[in-house]
Amino acid sequence: MTDNTLIEHLVTSLRCLPGVGPKSAQRMVYHLLGRDRDGGRILANTLRAAMDDIGNCRLCRTFTESELCALCVSESRDPSLLCVVETPANVAAINRGTDYNGRFFVLLGHLSPLDGVGPGHLGIDQLKKRLDTGDIREVILATGSTVERQATAHYIAEFVRERGILVSRIALGVPLGGELEFVDSGTLAHALSGRGEYR
Amino acid sequence: MNVNHHPTLEPAFVLNRRPYRETSLLVEAFTAKSGRVGLVAKGARRGKIPLAPVLEPFRPLLLSWRGSGELFTLTVAEPDDSVCSPRIWSVKSGFYVNELLLRLLRRHDPSPDIFEDYRQVLKRIPVPGQEEPALRIFEKRLLAAIGYGLSLDQDAETGRPVEHEKSYRYQPGRGFVEDHGAPCISGDFAITVRGGTLIALGRETLQGSEQLREAKHLMRTILRGYLGEAPLASRMLYR
Ligand SMILES: [Zn+2]
Repeated sequence: MTDNTLIEHLVTSLRCLPGVGPKSAQRMVYHLLGRDRDGGRILANTLRAAMDDIGNCRLCRTFTESELCALCVSESRDPSLLCVVETPANVAAINRGTDYNGRFFVLLGHLSPLDGVGPGHLGIDQLKKRLDTGDIREVILATGSTVERQATAHYIAEFVRERGILVSRIALGVPLGGELEFVDSGTLAHALSGRGEYR
Repeated sequence: MNVNHHPTLEPAFVLNRRPYRETSLLVEAFTAKSGRVGLVAKGARRGKIPLAPVLEPFRPLLLSWRGSGELFTLTVAEPDDSVCSPRIWSVKSGFYVNELLLRLLRRHDPSPDIFEDYRQVLKRIPVPGQEEPALRIFEKRLLAAIGYGLSLDQDAETGRPVEHEKSYRYQPGRGFVEDHGAPCISGDFAITVRGGTLIALGRETLQGSEQLREAKHLMRTILRGYLGEAPLASRMLYR
């Protein structure tokens, strides 16, 4: 295969996908060209439409092609609960895996002081405006547990509390089916300090 | 110093880390004996027991590595449970000290004293009332360790001991000179400070809001001279 051919170009383009190396990219290309040109056309069209038309929800910042996402529009969700997450993928995970029925706010990242990611990148002003509408009774912080993510949670908790709104944070601790001796000391400390009444 | 192989575990802290290639991390570590080192943690973000959760800033670790050149390959990383892990809730100051080390220490330049000072400052940051004095002491000691130690008890012009009630003006590269109220040369480094603050900073006995405020302003001005033009990211972000 020579450089600069369309095939080579397609292989390189596919490698922007996570987990796709040169070999698997090549396999995909030969599959589409050899066996599924219709599928390839549909993929190309959908991909283009998605890249052009999907933006962020005006209220919660998750991905949507409308002004407001389905979750923000839905009448059946509790508007007094707001769950703050890092990514649209987190929204999907919580929706799929739990019975949480409130609204979301997506930061699209986390504070990373040494890499120049500050509150301005995380839609903090938008979040504050949302809190100031007066509809929200509780903010649930569902960011991860790395130091930067804890700093993010801490930062948000401060201004939520200032507004007299309850702040809670998802529990950190021993994984289901896990044994204590394999849990690292940091996680164990969190699990112990965040212990709950046995029910 | 040529560190080609480092088979023993060395006490260390992670100063910063960022994703590297698809599953790895690039770690800037500060170690007890080898100073600052750049380490590639291969596959740290994936695998059965990913290393990424261990490689967190502010957590006492034991690390070993191999390789040569500018970047080494991390071979072992485990939490150092023999040392109490500082609990830093408001991590602002923690990131600030990390950034100072990243900006002021060169790689592969051992500074065991600063390692101990770093451990101390992390311990004191979360203690109510100790954060500010601890930061000033750390800044002062760090400057001394990289060869820019301050002479805080002597007038640089007359050689006389610094006196509590007098005012002194900071002159970059020279030290502190008694301020007679003469029109001061304007510029970034024009700063005066009371003798009492200089003495307390030297003896590491800073106390009271006025002294702490003066010392903070002073150290910020001095550090700006060594950090160069780029502002500190950890300071800018929260404004
Ligand atoms: Zn929405």
